[in-house]
Amino acid sequence: MLGKRPWKMAAGAAAIALLAAGCTGGGSDDSEDSADSVVIGIVEPQHLVPSNTTETAGSQVLASLYYPLVTFDAKKQPVETAAESITSDDNKVWTVKLKPGFTFHNGEPVTADNYIDAWNYGAYAPNGQGGSYFYSRIDGFVDLQAKDPDGEEGPQKAPAPKAKTLTGLKKVDDTTFTVTLSAPFAGWKAVMGYNSFYPLPKAAFSAPGVLAEGFEDAPVGNGPFKMKGKWEHDSEIKVERYADFKGTAPKVNGITWKIYQDQQAQYADLVAGNVDVQTQIPLESLASASGDLGDRLQRSPNSSFQFVGFPTFLKEFQNRDVRRAISMAIDREEMTKQIFLDSETPATSFVSPVVTGYRPNSCGEFCVHDPAKAKQLYTKAGGPSEIRITYNTDGPHKAWVDAMCNQLKAALGVNCIGVGEPKFSDMLTKVKAREPVGLIRLAWVMDYPLMESYLGPLYSTTGSSNYYGYSSTAFDNLLAQGSAARTPQEAIKKWQQAEDILADDMPVIPLRFGQNVYGFSDRVANVSVDLFRKVDIYKIELVAGK
Amino acid sequence: MFRYILRRLLQMVLTFFGATFIVYALMFANQDDPVQALAGDRPITDSQRQILTERYHLDEPFLQQYRYYMEGLLTGDFGTSLTGRRISDMMADAWPVTIKLALLAIVIAATVAITAGVVSGIRRAGTFDNVTLVLTLVILCLPIVVLAPLARLVFGVQLGWFPPTAGRDASWWALLLPAIVLGSLVVATQLRVTRSAVAENLRADYVRTARAKGLSGRRVIGVHVLRNSLIPVVTLVGVDIGNLMSGAIVTEGVFNIPGVGFNLFRGITTEDGPLVVGFVSILVIVFLVVNLVVDLLYAALDPRIRYA
Amino acid sequence: MRDPGVVTGVAGPAPAADRPRGLAGDAWRDLRRSRTFWIAAVLVALFLVMAAFPALFTPADPRACTLDRQYDGPSGTAFFGYDFQGCDTYARTVYGARNSITVGILATLIAGVIGLVVGLAAGYLGGWADAVLSRVVDVVLGIPFLLGAIVLARRLSQNASDDGVLAVVLTLGLLGWTTAARVVRSSVISAKNQDYVAAARMLGAGPARLMMRHILPNSVAPFIVVLTVLLGANIATEATLSFLGIGLQGDAISWGIAINESGRFVRSAAAPLVWPSVFLALTVLAVIMLGDAIRDAFDPKLR
Repeated sequence: MLGKRPWKMAAGAAAIALLAAGCTGGGSDDSEDSADSVVIGIVEPQHLVPSNTTETAGSQVLASLYYPLVTFDAKKQPVETAAESITSDDNKVWTVKLKPGFTFHNGEPVTADNYIDAWNYGAYAPNGQGGSYFYSRIDGFVDLQAKDPDGEEGPQKAPAPKAKTLTGLKKVDDTTFTVTLSAPFAGWKAVMGYNSFYPLPKAAFSAPGVLAEGFEDAPVGNGPFKMKGKWEHDSEIKVERYADFKGTAPKVNGITWKIYQDQQAQYADLVAGNVDVQTQIPLESLASASGDLGDRLQRSPNSSFQFVGFPTFLKEFQNRDVRRAISMAIDREEMTKQIFLDSETPATSFVSPVVTGYRPNSCGEFCVHDPAKAKQLYTKAGGPSEIRITYNTDGPHKAWVDAMCNQLKAALGVNCIGVGEPKFSDMLTKVKAREPVGLIRLAWVMDYPLMESYLGPLYSTTGSSNYYGYSSTAFDNLLAQGSAARTPQEAIKKWQQAEDILADDMPVIPLRFGQNVYGFSDRVANVSVDLFRKVDIYKIELVAGK
Repeated sequence: MFRYILRRLLQMVLTFFGATFIVYALMFANQDDPVQALAGDRPITDSQRQILTERYHLDEPFLQQYRYYMEGLLTGDFGTSLTGRRISDMMADAWPVTIKLALLAIVIAATVAITAGVVSGIRRAGTFDNVTLVLTLVILCLPIVVLAPLARLVFGVQLGWFPPTAGRDASWWALLLPAIVLGSLVVATQLRVTRSAVAENLRADYVRTARAKGLSGRRVIGVHVLRNSLIPVVTLVGVDIGNLMSGAIVTEGVFNIPGVGFNLFRGITTEDGPLVVGFVSILVIVFLVVNLVVDLLYAALDPRIRYA
Repeated sequence: MRDPGVVTGVAGPAPAADRPRGLAGDAWRDLRRSRTFWIAAVLVALFLVMAAFPALFTPADPRACTLDRQYDGPSGTAFFGYDFQGCDTYARTVYGARNSITVGILATLIAGVIGLVVGLAAGYLGGWADAVLSRVVDVVLGIPFLLGAIVLARRLSQNASDDGVLAVVLTLGLLGWTTAARVVRSSVISAKNQDYVAAARMLGAGPARLMMRHILPNSVAPFIVVLTVLLGANIATEATLSFLGIGLQGDAISWGIAINESGRFVRSAAAPLVWPSVFLALTVLAVIMLGDAIRDAFDPKLR
């Protein structure tokens, strides 16, 4: 048969393809709910359990399902939302009083127990929650951890932790509980704005301390929206208005969180009108975005901070003058303008401008572009003749690393090579193995709007993201003093002194501060994207008649 | 013939285990720090690392891990991915859309390639031949990472002929543009092989004989030339079907299709052994079955070929 | 030449020469007269010289880039203008020839040799040999390219401080031979059942002679075509590997990398995308033409 009618067969196949294409064409299946809900693009969240969510996408979805204890005003000061009041006399024992009348989406009233249970679950080490470090200031946290007696590689399993509940959490009555910290911390109220501090309903647990199977695919929260169906992995998450919500009412009836693997694909859908909001326009599309979107392309500050670190085990960078010279050889303005088309701004401080206590140019003269001086200092300090910059290729880093290399080559007369590793963890593996990686590309977004959220994780000796191994006793002491300070003002003073030590030591080179460069469709208005790169779901509204 | 098929089916079982073993071993060799890979740029706590390591046996030797995996697989359990999702659920989400995409792509590619290949093979160095050559070169020289976004920009956004992205529950219509892009990956080879085979067979003795017998040109080409030329083309199409399923990583990303290629990519970059091996095990079956069908087609196309 | 395979009493259009010649001699005589062959040969020679001595073509340093020249138009010897990083597009295209052509040719050669040997053996021997070899092909087909590439590139680049060319060549070669193998196998299976092979066998030709004289020449055509296309694909795929951080290392220059990077910003400037693509296209064109000419020259049916 194949031999006899090849032409017809080919034509037939083509016809079938076209027919199949044609007859299902045109029909759009999401027209039913597009009328009163908005579509916002995200990436696939890693988790939708509050205490296990540490990335933006999950955090964004949870923000629609849960109502936080505090949120942040225009001055980045925490203000109570689900909490009636949060008070403390000594910054050690904090009393949280909840607003009455709130219920979970399944009808359960929100009580102090819901918070205590959720936090205990999050802090208990065997649950392996990604956000567990948020509870580490609460008294008793260490007893919920367990150290593997023979290290990770050993055959023995870690013993069960000593306790299952945090001694620092105490219920006073149904709507009141106290949080006792292991050491006073003036910024605690701000910390509780993070999604690790959302409550979980009783229905979330199949037994005390055991999360119910399937809860994550349809989380039940206390927020303005409830799940509509399940989490359609890699596809979408739909939420609809929760009628009994007692807090600030949102202006749209539902949100479809549409999941994208590729930011460019999302941008194409934004321009084509299939997505209403994209919180970060990809670099490749920025040049044409203002033409595509007009005044629907907007900017707002966010907390991201891009920098390069000097691994301390690399001898050639141990002289601080070498580090300073490299920093002075970089033309940050040119980089943000030419490579990032002003979507990022030059960084000349060690904390982001979005936190109180930020001082512009705390880095001083060493972050000012001065190639002549840089060259002089570099030669005098005996800097290496070849500089490597290691970065991960799964992020958009090659362009600026190459540009930075070209700047270093021109200014310092050295050879400079950008080395791409497939992913961030590959880079870390090389750093841990003390390989000659050169400068390493790093970035940070804050957990809460305090200077400490940068200084602690990035520069303290035990900092979770201090991959370069910077260690300064003076810095650690000032940081601790700041955290223990009586008032936020005192804390900031100490933290600023700590930052001055960084400016002197230059363990990292600040490069850029991020911005939200977001776009939206003509169906929506009042779109704003906050410091945490999340769309404000309470403000966004549909344009009438569209 | 029946015995031949039976023998091939038996070989398949062995091949299946061989392939899954090798891929599992490769994933193991590729495994540096899956816990950190999963977390991306974010720092991870010691307790979290410890828990995940134990839950997924990440610290155990290779053979032990493989044994856990095979024990599950033989009871029909593909296990859970490092993200905690059931791999069978992920496959149920991913395979349908990928199969649709790959079939559409291969039909488009083979139709274009065979039609154009025959025409340009008959009139070698004619205008049509030269035009297809230039088009082939253009496709060849724009890697898919450039071609796919370009197609989306031009046809999806600027001209608006097609939806710019497809999604998981895409209609055939939404998959058409991705399928054309994907098909372009293989159309060049298929076209040029068809063209060369047709050109060659046109000069064969039996064609001269057939023409001498007074058969019409159309019948000569349709029956004799095409039939004999299809053997290498069918071989290519067979290999391409599987390749399009696993190799659509870029196309699936560009058109936002969470299919097999996307899952393989995700599994490989997060060092997620069970996830990758699960998908590969189905993929291997696809290759095996398609290649068996192709081998049987040889005999159908050329009666002189016999399988004992 | 009393070779039954080349009997073809029907003579070609050209009057047969008096004196018997070898297949190669015939081929060379045909090639010399072919315009296609000479165009292709000149192009190939040009690119080989460019790969070996790029400095002959441009005095500029392809690595001297500065952002204040970003997307500037042509000036001086920068005939194609400047790219996103402010590098001389012409200089980078010329200097990219070496890596791209090395990767393209060597990777294709490796894939070709493995594919040819496996395909010939499987197709000709049949039976158990075919079963084993074909299933090996199936297994290799089942390995996701990306996974194989990552593992190979990592293992290979661990003991090499070079620019990664060798690792890329081996990765593409060792993972890219399966299509060639299956195509060769298919045409061998089809060729060995042809009448003239049966005739030659009956006339007492040994296996080696059968293979070299009859089966190989008659089954090599699709193989050559697959290889010529593979060459172009390999040059382009190198870019994908480099893009993922497992290809050429550091500040290596290649057409693939240039196409890949400028392709992302094509809406800002097209020239940095177009020129390396044109060079790549011309290389592939030359190889396709060369392949066509050589195959025609060697095709016994044209005699």
